[in-house]
Amino acid sequence: MISQIKPPRAESTLTRYTRREEQEADSHPLDLRLIGRLYEYTRPYASQRNWLIVLVILRSIQLPCLTWIIAAVIKGPVDRGDMHGVAWGVLGFLALALFTQGCLHFRQRLALELGESVVHDLRRDLFARLQRMPMSFFQRTKLGRIISRMTTDVEYVRMGVQEVLFVSLVQVGQMTVAAVFMLWYDPVLFLLVLALVPVLWLLNRHFNRQLSKAHRDVQESFSRVTATLAESVNGIRVTQAFVRQDANAGMFSQLINDHSDFNFGLTKIQGRFQGLLDLNNQLFISVLLILGGYQVLSGGGTQVGDLVGFFFMANLFFAPITTLGVQYNHALTAMAGAERVFRLLDNPLEQQDPPGAIELSRVAGRVEFRDVSFGYDPGRLVLHDLNFVAEPGQTIALVGHTGGGKTSILNLIASFYLPTRGELTIDGHDIRRVARVSLRRQIGLVLQQNFLFSGTVMDNIRVGRPEASDDEIYEAAHRLDCLDLLAELPDGLHTLVGERGGSLSLGQRQLVCFTRAMLADPPLLFLDEATSSVDTLTEARIQRALAELLKGRTSFVVAHRLSTIRHADQVLVLDHGRIVERGTHRQLLARGGEYAKLYRRFVPC
Amino acid sequence: MTEKSSAAKSSAATAATLGADREASNLVLVRRMLALAWCYGGSCAWVVVQQFFLVALNLSGLGLIGLGIDVIRHAVERDAAPARWPLGLSPPTDWPPLATIGAIAVGVFLLAIAQSSLRYWSAVSAGRLVQKIVVQLRCDVYDKLQRLSFRFFDANQSGSIINRVAGDVRAVSMFVDMVLIEMLGVLLSLALYLVYMLSINVPLTLACLATTPLMWLGAVIFSRWVKPAYRHNRELSDQMILTLSENVQGVQVVKGFGREPQEIGKFGVANGRVKDQKHLIFRLISVFQPGIGLLTQLNLAVLLLYGGYLVIDGQLLLGEGLFVFANLLQQFANQVTQITNITNSIQASLTGAQRVFEVLDAPLEITSPAAPARWTRPRGAVAFEGVDFSYRPGDRVLRDVSFAAEPGECIAIAGATGAGKSTLLSLIPRFYDPQAGAVLIDGIDIRRLALDDLRRAIGLVFQESFLFSNTVFANIAFGHPEATRQDVEQAARIAAAHDFIEALPQGYDTVIGEYGSNLSGGQRQRIAIARAILSRPSILVFDDATAAVDPETEHEILQAMENAMRGRTTFVVAHRLSTLRRADRVIVLEGGRVTQIGTHDELMRRGGTYHRAAHLQILDAESSQLLNAGKHVA
Repeated sequence: MISQIKPPRAESTLTRYTRREEQEADSHPLDLRLIGRLYEYTRPYASQRNWLIVLVILRSIQLPCLTWIIAAVIKGPVDRGDMHGVAWGVLGFLALALFTQGCLHFRQRLALELGESVVHDLRRDLFARLQRMPMSFFQRTKLGRIISRMTTDVEYVRMGVQEVLFVSLVQVGQMTVAAVFMLWYDPVLFLLVLALVPVLWLLNRHFNRQLSKAHRDVQESFSRVTATLAESVNGIRVTQAFVRQDANAGMFSQLINDHSDFNFGLTKIQGRFQGLLDLNNQLFISVLLILGGYQVLSGGGTQVGDLVGFFFMANLFFAPITTLGVQYNHALTAMAGAERVFRLLDNPLEQQDPPGAIELSRVAGRVEFRDVSFGYDPGRLVLHDLNFVAEPGQTIALVGHTGGGKTSILNLIASFYLPTRGELTIDGHDIRRVARVSLRRQIGLVLQQNFLFSGTVMDNIRVGRPEASDDEIYEAAHRLDCLDLLAELPDGLHTLVGERGGSLSLGQRQLVCFTRAMLADPPLLFLDEATSSVDTLTEARIQRALAELLKGRTSFVVAHRLSTIRHADQVLVLDHGRIVERGTHRQLLARGGEYAKLYRRFVPC
Repeated sequence: MTEKSSAAKSSAATAATLGADREASNLVLVRRMLALAWCYGGSCAWVVVQQFFLVALNLSGLGLIGLGIDVIRHAVERDAAPARWPLGLSPPTDWPPLATIGAIAVGVFLLAIAQSSLRYWSAVSAGRLVQKIVVQLRCDVYDKLQRLSFRFFDANQSGSIINRVAGDVRAVSMFVDMVLIEMLGVLLSLALYLVYMLSINVPLTLACLATTPLMWLGAVIFSRWVKPAYRHNRELSDQMILTLSENVQGVQVVKGFGREPQEIGKFGVANGRVKDQKHLIFRLISVFQPGIGLLTQLNLAVLLLYGGYLVIDGQLLLGEGLFVFANLLQQFANQVTQITNITNSIQASLTGAQRVFEVLDAPLEITSPAAPARWTRPRGAVAFEGVDFSYRPGDRVLRDVSFAAEPGECIAIAGATGAGKSTLLSLIPRFYDPQAGAVLIDGIDIRRLALDDLRRAIGLVFQESFLFSNTVFANIAFGHPEATRQDVEQAARIAAAHDFIEALPQGYDTVIGEYGSNLSGGQRQRIAIARAILSRPSILVFDDATAAVDPETEHEILQAMENAMRGRTTFVVAHRLSTLRRADRVIVLEGGRVTQIGTHDELMRRGGTYHRAAHLQILDAESSQLLNAGKHVA
């Protein structure tokens, strides 16, 4: 029925919903390796875990025992008319009930806490691992994906640890004990029960498959709805400007109806499943009534009380089958989650420093590229045979088209990546033999996005040097001559910058990043100038601050501002990973080559 | 008007902010939702009737089994009380007990068939009802969203708006199926159970249900405790995720400044807080659930003791009495705890309803006049007359702005961030209405024009153009879905986009990734320009289309802009000199006032702000000389 509903034709939609490039599997077969690794994570909580296993065993016996007591009281004292016996039976029942619930309390609490502790450790390890991932990892991995490892997937694992294992164990135990009781009551009737097990199991399997497919359809159609919705809201200004409201509403209504049909299909399957489960139970009871009645009436040794007991036990025996079906699905989901979490944990780390790496103390800042070639994937070079020297204190402007290789040069100097060929030296030390952290500590970064962490302006500046005092921060801002601009903010330097610096203007964010770099006072400075223009007044202040910041450091600037390029000691013009021109601004202009051509487009003349 | 301005002004427009009037009384909300349910009253009543029969069938089945047990017992032990036949339906006395039991078993089975068919049927009708409501509400809310003014979108985060259509609508429909119907269902079953149990034995019923109020109380207290705990937990997890996402987004800064240890520490704290809070919640859960379980078992113990006594005393039958009671008690307890779920659903649906109704009730603000002025052939003369505008009262963004643009003229608008440039442009297509003064096109106040006509006459290119994840073709034809391939290609040619589009993998049928991710900034803007000129507007508005791109890309866009503006009245927000010089006239905005108007050359001669600003970008004499010298060499 569901397969007849086709997704809407693409031409008639507002957006095209494309399945995410690598659709994430929502289940993974049970895998001993994964289970083993998860087991490792329970090791720090071994005593909790072991107690849990004891409790689980207790629990699986307790429930059938409780039922047995009821049945026994009915069969024995009640049938005999022995009130005294009834009272004793009830007392026993109450005592066992108290004990059972006490066990349940600890069973639940320990299992829940164990799951959460494991998840906590997984998150901790994931995060620590992330900190040591190479830059290339962050380039190709979307943030959303990392977040879903830490949230959804880890949640799946938690469910697996908290529930699947222990609940399944309890259920299986309960089934077994109930089976033993039934066998004891009446072996013939028990055979009937056994005959029904495969039927129920198949029924469960069949519907679980149908249900998970229907769920997937519902989810997919819902993603289409939300994707369209998100674009409709984010693109509302376009929609209204182009008067598309009615057309959009029509398309959306179609999507909604589609989604609703899938939902309805799901409801139907659930209804059918539930109905059949009920029917099956009742069928069993009817047959039991006839067969059991026959057994009792024919005097085959079965008593009425046994029959009642049998009815109760049959419930305890059948209920776990459905629960186990659900738990099995959960287990597969948990496996999928665990698989992804561990895959992330197994990602190769940033290359480690070589043994005996040189710890750099403050460098003078001489950077030399000797025949350096580099490619993010070794087959495709993005830099070819670069040769240049930056003397201490020089400003090197990197100019050229997008994709020319400007950012790659910066990535190499910061040792985010290593050169594929050739030699890159800092103060004469080969970068391959230098301890990375000691090198990076000498580099100040000011990037185009001007990334700020949520917190105050002060916190963000202090990132440059965590141990700096407030006075030193004021001093740094003062030296850049932008203290007044930052002090002007609503709460001065204690203003909260908002998520990703949202509550500051572009110009203000840039100044915060400058101050951060100034505070760090590094001998090497990288600057990727922002492209968006700031208003002219702020621009003038930024240029002044920039000149101050560059003073006395070896600086590499991906330059968009005329003034920066004009004052650079060397301009490197890059094209497709090669240096096509080099020299000062004046020399290059006079040459009338590639640079002059670029430059002419910049400026009206 | 753009990403930028909406962020900057979000705090400004308080009037339209959702949730400002949070405490709309719950009573009003409930009444509204009841009204909504009333519209579907027939279906609701139907579902409830089905529920009633389901419970009744269930009880009858249970009763029959009990009857069967009694028949057997009576047949085996002659001293046991004979079975009590309901409704005077006793079998012929000459039937052997086994035949009677067979008949009962068949009855049980027939009832079961009826019950499961009915269960399926009622699931389907409930599902259909819910889907009807959800579809209707979603379409209504979406339709409304499409028409709300920009002020609304400035004031509300897009995530929150999206949730209103996606999630909150479901919460509203929850009021019907999870609250109304469920509640009636629970009450009905409880009543039926109660009546049934009372009909068997009154004192036993009372004794067994003595703990019910306790159970209910426990459930209520539990949800009081655990709900805030969960809310706090959500906040803590959000905090943890924020730490993570900032860490990843700022990875260069983290690595660049060697901040890894501090970051690990920061995350460790957030992570630990989540764990502690979770443990607290778990402790609550592990007290509550066994507690309720214990109460249920206490009931069973009472039943066993008192019921046992009654059976021994001959006042109660084993099957129809004790056995049925034991089963019913279990179900009774389930239903009682179900009530807590319902109270939670009420809370959730009230919150959802509040958010949905806020959208449905938001005023449209900008609408077409009842009798729009006739306006057949737009010429494109635009005039501002004494326009005052503010996003929120008392904070004027534009003050007394007056100027006139002739048809075909190109007007550049210059000024510092926050001077009101984008605001000024957004008044032309009536995204906002001015508080004083008027905007006129071809001499007509635009508030007298039909809104759709007005906006169709204007082509707009935004600062960061939003493209839909659809084909290039569909994006260009966005405002004019019936456009032919030729129309689209022609527009693309004018926007200097045809060549690169043809070079895409599937040409015009290439699907653009989310937010245009597989195109460069310059390409996106050129597609946006093609989109704007497709329907041949007489007025073009460029809101700083080159702000977010590097100079090289800017060059590409400028070329496209220049082609596009030919023969049209054009407004351009610009910072770069290269754009400003091409305009027929430049308007300089300062603090919302027009301070200078004139051509670039005039303004350069006149001195003042414009001159100062321009000077920063102008080539110094030396460079210019060198460049010219270089040109000769080349």
